[in-house]
Amino acid sequence: MTTRTTWIWQFVLVPLAGIFLFPLLWMFSTALKPVDQAMRMPPTWIPKAYYAPLDGVRMRVVPRGTNAVAGVIVATADNRLFVPDADFHAGRVRIIRTLRGAIVTNLVAAQLIKTVPPGFVHVLEDVDQTSMAAQRRWDYVAPALLETRTELAWRNFLAAMRVIPFARYTLNTLILCLLCVVGTTLSNSLIAYGFARVEWPGRDFYFALTLATMMVPFPVTMIALYGVFKSMHLVGTWYPLWLPAFFGGAFNIFLLRQFYMTIPQDLTDAARIDGCSEWQIFWRVIVPLSKPALAVVALFQFMGTWNDFMGPLLYLNDQSKFTLALGLQFFQSQSGGTEWHLLMAASTLMLLPILVLFFFTQKQFIQGIATTGMKG
Amino acid sequence: MTRRTRRALRIGLLFTAPWSIGLLAFVLYPVLASLYHSFCDYSVFRTAVWIGFDNYRELLRDEVFWKTIWNTGIFALAAIPLGIVVAVALAMLLNTKSHGMVVYRTIFFIPSLVPMVTLAMLWMWIFNGSYGILNYGLNGVLRLLHLPFEAPGWLLDPHWAKPALVLMGMWGCGNAIVIFLAGLQDIPVSLYEAAEIDGASRWQKTIHVTLPMLSPVIYFNVIMGIIGTFQVFAVPYIMTGGGPQRATLFYAMYIFQTAFEDLRMGYASAQAVILFLIILACTYLATRVMRKHVHYGGV
Amino acid sequence: MRLPLLALLALLSCACTRGPADGRVHITYWEKWAGFEADAMRAVIERFNTAQTGIVVEFMSISGIGRKLLTATAGGDPPDLAGIWSSSLPSYAEHGALTPLDNYLRRADIRAGTYVPVYWRMCQYRGHTWALPSTPGSTALIYNKELFRRAGLDPERPPRTIAELDAYAKKLTVYDAASNIVQLGFLPTEPGWYNYAWIYYFGGAIWDETNKVTFATPAGRAMFAWIADYSRRCGVKAVQQFSAGFGNFASPQNAFLAGKVAMELQGVWMYNYIEKYAPGLDWGAAPFPALDGINPPVVYTEADVLVIPRGARHPDAAFAFIQFVQQQTNMELLCRGQLKASPLAQVSANFFATHPHPYLPLFYETSFSPRAFTTPAFSIHDEIAREVNVVIDGVRLLQLAPDDAVAILQSRGQRALDRMLAQRARRGVDILVETP
Repeated sequence: MTTRTTWIWQFVLVPLAGIFLFPLLWMFSTALKPVDQAMRMPPTWIPKAYYAPLDGVRMRVVPRGTNAVAGVIVATADNRLFVPDADFHAGRVRIIRTLRGAIVTNLVAAQLIKTVPPGFVHVLEDVDQTSMAAQRRWDYVAPALLETRTELAWRNFLAAMRVIPFARYTLNTLILCLLCVVGTTLSNSLIAYGFARVEWPGRDFYFALTLATMMVPFPVTMIALYGVFKSMHLVGTWYPLWLPAFFGGAFNIFLLRQFYMTIPQDLTDAARIDGCSEWQIFWRVIVPLSKPALAVVALFQFMGTWNDFMGPLLYLNDQSKFTLALGLQFFQSQSGGTEWHLLMAASTLMLLPILVLFFFTQKQFIQGIATTGMKG
Repeated sequence: MTRRTRRALRIGLLFTAPWSIGLLAFVLYPVLASLYHSFCDYSVFRTAVWIGFDNYRELLRDEVFWKTIWNTGIFALAAIPLGIVVAVALAMLLNTKSHGMVVYRTIFFIPSLVPMVTLAMLWMWIFNGSYGILNYGLNGVLRLLHLPFEAPGWLLDPHWAKPALVLMGMWGCGNAIVIFLAGLQDIPVSLYEAAEIDGASRWQKTIHVTLPMLSPVIYFNVIMGIIGTFQVFAVPYIMTGGGPQRATLFYAMYIFQTAFEDLRMGYASAQAVILFLIILACTYLATRVMRKHVHYGGV
Repeated sequence: MRLPLLALLALLSCACTRGPADGRVHITYWEKWAGFEADAMRAVIERFNTAQTGIVVEFMSISGIGRKLLTATAGGDPPDLAGIWSSSLPSYAEHGALTPLDNYLRRADIRAGTYVPVYWRMCQYRGHTWALPSTPGSTALIYNKELFRRAGLDPERPPRTIAELDAYAKKLTVYDAASNIVQLGFLPTEPGWYNYAWIYYFGGAIWDETNKVTFATPAGRAMFAWIADYSRRCGVKAVQQFSAGFGNFASPQNAFLAGKVAMELQGVWMYNYIEKYAPGLDWGAAPFPALDGINPPVVYTEADVLVIPRGARHPDAAFAFIQFVQQQTNMELLCRGQLKASPLAQVSANFFATHPHPYLPLFYETSFSPRAFTTPAFSIHDEIAREVNVVIDGVRLLQLAPDDAVAILQSRGQRALDRMLAQRARRGVDILVETP
């Protein structure tokens, strides 16, 4: 290819690559922002932090806009209020309460704390919002006292890990992944051997039937399977999530069988002449030779389990047994609303192990996908 | 049967024994049980009561059920071809021997690694009508061009929610790119050389050599795409919960909803049975259509 | 080589099923709450666990408890005790997922008169008591006094009829120079939590409590026309823009907390969000307007209720805890902690005095209203609520005419109800009742 066409190619590919990378970069950027900037329009790429004096101490704050009318901050016996000038008169502030349905206006004694001219900025103490009950300090300050700094909110990651038991969920997910990976590689390598290297009556019919089961998607069997596990009293445990892995699956059987077929017959014949049993041939000859294919199977099983959402959603009840995929979804409802910056931080954390895995096993990944045509 | 075949049979059955159990317990029995339950009033709490074809009769009248079929069908018709076109196009772009290609390949592939839950969360954020980056950009462009439109509300708008999901799906086409790339690299150079001798242009080579040679891979992706689409669950479940106005309520979600939220497992089983039939029919159809156009065989 | 690995895996997978052995009955308690509401319940549990030596309650926050509890109970793995929404009680009871409490109540001498009537009603279904309340939620008109003042309205005279509400809403809606709406007086679908309840404010109901759904009534038509009216007046764009939608209810972006919407139908808990996200906001609460005024007020109420799932291993111990929660001091500790009023007909003199909520008496007193209502006592509430939300969504976007919406709801609702009744008839036995 000539240099000129290469340049044209680059011209097309660079923006496309930009489009593909953009969402992830946006995720990282949001993960590092304080909440107010995560929800700010126009959006900002570089996270900032605001500082202002609250009760005499300079601390990180969230600016909440400026007040339009002159007002006062007053303290009543049990509360601190910002009210417009009109509601505060001669040491009393108007407070409303109800009595058996009727509405009563009370004038309550209140002490003036400070007057707030129009144009002051309402600032709230910036705390990580983990407990609803936490009272946040607030004040109205002169715009000049509000200071802006560029600051990456790495604390979001810590906060995200506090909001959901992140370490616990990661451990759970890893254990499940491990069980599934071991189960899948073990069972499918055995089964595929039975289909690829031993010739027995009925084998081809059985194999065709096996392939046909690829046409049965999960939603078809999900309800009845639930009934099966229910009758075994396994709902609420991890068994339904990993046990099936130990009994093979059509796709992996197919994959490994195709690979085994490419191993020359001479090798196994030689072993047979040496007096090896079928098991020994499988374990000593075939398995060592098919490591790349097994790696592919293992890798996809890992991804599949790491990703699985419906299975855990269906079978897990106890929050302490949750996997990451499920835990992350419940992130939203944990504190009543979606805290996007924390959610993006948690999402980043969930993506990282997969990215690391990818960079260490790039070759298997790409080859695996290319040879198996696997999607999703 | 000779002793040798008996021995082979024993060994074969022994090696495939785990699968025989798996096939029975996790595939055949559930399929048959679903078939039985589809004729029952069944809620797991009580024993199933046979009610004949009532569930199927109700399915016919259930507008929501038809809506989920429509949703899923439209989604498949948009997402599968679009995804394949984009993936094939990108694979062709990437199928050159220059240095940077490994880097590009990685960039295009990474999105498909993003776990589904993360994917859903991220795009919910991007599509957010008021705070999402996508609408910010779109509105900026529309204003710049003085167009009298405004960016849609995406996931909040019944007309735009499905397109949003299709768009999102294309972002994750990295897997397919890799598959098609491998397919492209398998095409023998001699075919192109022969075409060149015949005086074929670049475009003609694409139409008459590349695409036919790639057709088995495309066929495979179509089949997998159909089966995949009828299983779509996690992403819309998290992003929209099926809304707005059920515009993103897909087949698998409705099964889940009726079975595990309304506990109408008999009714849901009837849906599962229909799903099985639909998949069979689709695969058969796709095979019939593709058989004429798929080019198999060596060189 | 693989064997030790497998052994390890097997170990890992059963490592989490060991229970403590201290001779006490450990009961598991699933609750939907996390955060400070959970803390309030934990305080009561701590009292209980130290007050006696036989039982230990183990608290667990479960999100999405509605479906979880049902599938867990169906799957034979229920907790001993669960806190659910009162609205899902009928469907749980109908499916046979709950243990009736009738005999327990008789033995413990717990009677209807102890409770605010509407909260007691919530625990009944088809002649049996299936739950007892933990904390009540009642609703009211929540409004922004500052915005009232700016619009020249008396902040101490909130609207009392729907007509007044609409007039106030008009006055409280503010446009910018380009005639975009920058502040909304009121929007029926913001935040849209109780769409299925609107019909009651128009003097209607969802069903006739025997065998007919009643959407196709003057009240139903008026209600949908009302929703369409708001969309026509404000414009679909504004309606969409102002919908709190997903994700920003509990945030400073919440339209009410941000001062962009002046009036809402909201619950007693709104105080807490105001304190957290908009401290200093000058707000008021009043009975929500109804078509014919607020004398007596129409009040939508719901409650968190405690139930014993069917198949629970320790129902007696679970009831001992439920009973403990019903004692006035414990109930008040719980309700004050969750910043709510009490479900009990009597409160201590101290309760209001020490409760931080400025409008608590309003929420408590209106729950006694003879027109206080809750979700219908049938097992298809979730399904009906889903249908209502779907058609209301169409109406508010002006994609569905109000009368068509009524027709759709009526036919789909009636079909669901007929199915429910047919199911009951088919099952022969009245309901699964086997009281311990």
